[in-house]
Amino acid sequence: MKKPMQEPGGHAAVLRIALIIGVIMLLGTVSSANQPPPDAALVGNETCADCHDEISEAFHRTIHGLAYKADQSGWSVSCESCHGPGSAHVEEGDPELIINPANTDQFDGSETCLNCHKTESLDDWAYSHHNSADVNCSSCHSVHTTSEQIVRKSSPELCYECHTDVRAASYMPSHHPVAEGKIECRDCHNPHGGSLSLTADDTGRELCFGCHGEKEGPFVYEHAPVNEDCLSCHTPHGSVADNLLIQTEPGLCLNCHAMHFHATIEGVEGEFVPPLAPERASLSTHDAWKRGMLTKCTQCHTEIHGTDLPSQSISTGGNALTR
Amino acid sequence: MKKMLTAMMVVFVLSFALVSAQDEEATKEYTFWIGGHYTDFTDYNKKVGEYNLGNEDFIPEFKGSYRFRSGEYLLNIDGHYYDEYNIAANYSQRWADRIKGDIYYRSLVWQEGQDLLVNLSAREEVLDEEGNPVPGGKMLTHELQDEGADYETHRKEFGGRAEVLLSRKHNVRMMAAHRSIIKTGEEQKIASGHCFSCHVVSKSAEIDRRTDEFEIGLQADVNDFTFGYKFGYRNFNSDANDPNAYYDAARHPVRGDAGAEFSSRQIFSDTTAVFGTYPSTRKFSHKVRAKGDVGKGRFAGSVSYSTTENRNTDLGSTSWSGVAQYAMPLNKKTRMIARVRGVRYKTDDPFIDLPLYRDGRPGPTTNFDFIRYSSLDRNDIKGSVEILSRLNLKTTVSGLLGYNVIDRHDYPLADGDDQQTGKFFGQVKFKYRNGLKFSFNAKYRMEMISDPFTSGRGLFEAPGRGVIGPESGTSFVFYWQREELRYQDITTYPTDVHEFDFKTTYRPDNKMSIIAGLKGKYDKNGDLDSLDVEHFSYQPNLVISLTPDPKWAMSAGYTFGHYKSRGPVTVALFDG
Repeated sequence: MKKPMQEPGGHAAVLRIALIIGVIMLLGTVSSANQPPPDAALVGNETCADCHDEISEAFHRTIHGLAYKADQSGWSVSCESCHGPGSAHVEEGDPELIINPANTDQFDGSETCLNCHKTESLDDWAYSHHNSADVNCSSCHSVHTTSEQIVRKSSPELCYECHTDVRAASYMPSHHPVAEGKIECRDCHNPHGGSLSLTADDTGRELCFGCHGEKEGPFVYEHAPVNEDCLSCHTPHGSVADNLLIQTEPGLCLNCHAMHFHATIEGVEGEFVPPLAPERASLSTHDAWKRGMLTKCTQCHTEIHGTDLPSQSISTGGNALTR
Repeated sequence: MKKMLTAMMVVFVLSFALVSAQDEEATKEYTFWIGGHYTDFTDYNKKVGEYNLGNEDFIPEFKGSYRFRSGEYLLNIDGHYYDEYNIAANYSQRWADRIKGDIYYRSLVWQEGQDLLVNLSAREEVLDEEGNPVPGGKMLTHELQDEGADYETHRKEFGGRAEVLLSRKHNVRMMAAHRSIIKTGEEQKIASGHCFSCHVVSKSAEIDRRTDEFEIGLQADVNDFTFGYKFGYRNFNSDANDPNAYYDAARHPVRGDAGAEFSSRQIFSDTTAVFGTYPSTRKFSHKVRAKGDVGKGRFAGSVSYSTTENRNTDLGSTSWSGVAQYAMPLNKKTRMIARVRGVRYKTDDPFIDLPLYRDGRPGPTTNFDFIRYSSLDRNDIKGSVEILSRLNLKTTVSGLLGYNVIDRHDYPLADGDDQQTGKFFGQVKFKYRNGLKFSFNAKYRMEMISDPFTSGRGLFEAPGRGVIGPESGTSFVFYWQREELRYQDITTYPTDVHEFDFKTTYRPDNKMSIIAGLKGKYDKNGDLDSLDVEHFSYQPNLVISLTPDPKWAMSAGYTFGHYKSRGPVTVALFDG
């Protein structure tokens, strides 16, 4: 039912997007975020504490305070590690003369936090969707909090603030147990990273098999969509259909296996193979279609993710995923 | 592995004891909460949710946390006991940035309903001698051997991660991580025999599955670059007894005779055989990564190699992947991000040795042996360029263009061709933010796809394939001849995709926020001969959040979803 090798059409849409990108490159200038002057010097935490006593008092109880050394010997985290040299700010009292990471423009690459946080999970931040969407570290993190986890809210509520559609999906009849608090958003997503497909071991397929290892294979008898993309049949955040299926059976299956056991409606164009026993067959009739709708495909094709065991029929090569 | 876990526990606990004994200015915080929950199911079904068992009892519930801090050392322990199947515990400690480690445990129960198979009783209609319709011919029967069974999967997950700073000079760090997932319980297994009239049997089967993952890695800074290596191992094993079922003796589905003829068309019949098994698999992976500043921009890239092995069948699969990303400022106002990713999968191609079709029977025989080429085998290359511009501190616009080609070089299509999918995609985004008070986001994304993923031989009745005759030497027209005529490739995947997303956030003060949004998606495949496939959906939503006090947070939201599909089969039936 598919014409072979269709070339992509709609080049006008491509041109439109290319034009928009061109316009983007020609648009206005960036205003500078708060910055100390180049000749500003370090003043030390004690000076900061003179005015910011509340923050300073709590600082040693924060995660960052763990790395602070009062004598400045060796490596340490101090106020100016993040806020930059403070002498000009101290002299003028002008908040514009010191870095405020909460307002720092991540966009221009001045990723204050990344100067220290270099773990693998942050590799993709500079290219991540969150960064592209103008999400700043402080959008989610409260750096001066004294709690162990410095996120502003616990998961999933923090994520739901923006991803409202996911919140709705997570309350659908079939869902991963996020609402129940059994798993968290970050079990599947790296909020500091890019799309799931950034690395092979982070593709959607590999990600799902991390918990659902029994479905990975490789199997002797495969179901192609399992190898193609789990999202061909499943939606991870929540669905009306059982087992996080995007559509209930048999409708979902018949999208790719149309007319299986005559589960189609009459009137589809073309001539079909006549039944061997016309008195018993019900080829492409409403009755056959209605009967097909009462079928749940996985009641027979139970091993829908793949199996090593052959099904019974020799002529199908044992490839029916029924065993 | 138990030894390793025990050793990790001992190291953690000893280090805690050492620090707490030495420090004089330690601070300690405790919280403890005790409560309970009671459920009554009088006149109701026991199932109250997929993840919530209906235990008709009063169950005490505990929560607690302990936080210890001394100088550069921090320790956190917290836990929650809900019932015997729902327990969570975390243990984490860190010593400045030198040592970080955590251990966790969590469990849940997943409850499945039982499929009563009641839709599977059917028999054909035939005409009696007087021409009246009566039941006859083929039958579909079912047998529920486990009626009333409760199917529960108890999932326990525990793991740990440790990171140690080996040298400050080059920021040399070593990390090790472990995770185990254990699933036990019972599930419904269904076997179907169709050597005679179709007979479907349901029975309970034991679940005893375990996944173990280990990772160990090293990273170091050299000049402006950070390099890292990580080795990963994953093992999956099922120790449950394999369920088995009796598969009927083959016979003519209507007359009940011709057993020898029909059994010669089956790989097995009149036998008890295992079904629904899970092979043991293991996976090894290696990943090398690098990131750093190159020119004006920042680069990050990695190369990964992995092997996966089905230990029951000696089937193997390998993957190579490479990722490179480069972000650089084009000028003070504009930034470019380029991304390239390539993946190659190759899976062993086993030879499927089948019995000769109609072996020992008069007339023709057919050899259906074949090599199973994997649908996983592919080269998948994707590249994109994104340009972002900050018009001012309140406004950001961006545009992205990319191309993805997937070459499924061994994918078995009916016409024998390889399948190569090309996807051109682009998106534009706009964001306006006035401090924390107001923000507006808009996004549009489109995809144009040539030859989207196709279900090989998925269509069962291809039109216009002509008429078949008996095989030479027999009067039979075999069913597989009819199948060969019917099979055809089919796709209902789209060739054109359009998505939009608008969202507005308004925060009148720091205690209240209102978010309103609208998402939508339209896709279609207009390249099909007989029927266009279209899907359209939109989801308006509204969320209001109130935080009168840092300890109180309330939110209420409403999301409406509208989905409309047009395709070969688009009936939305509820089966849950």
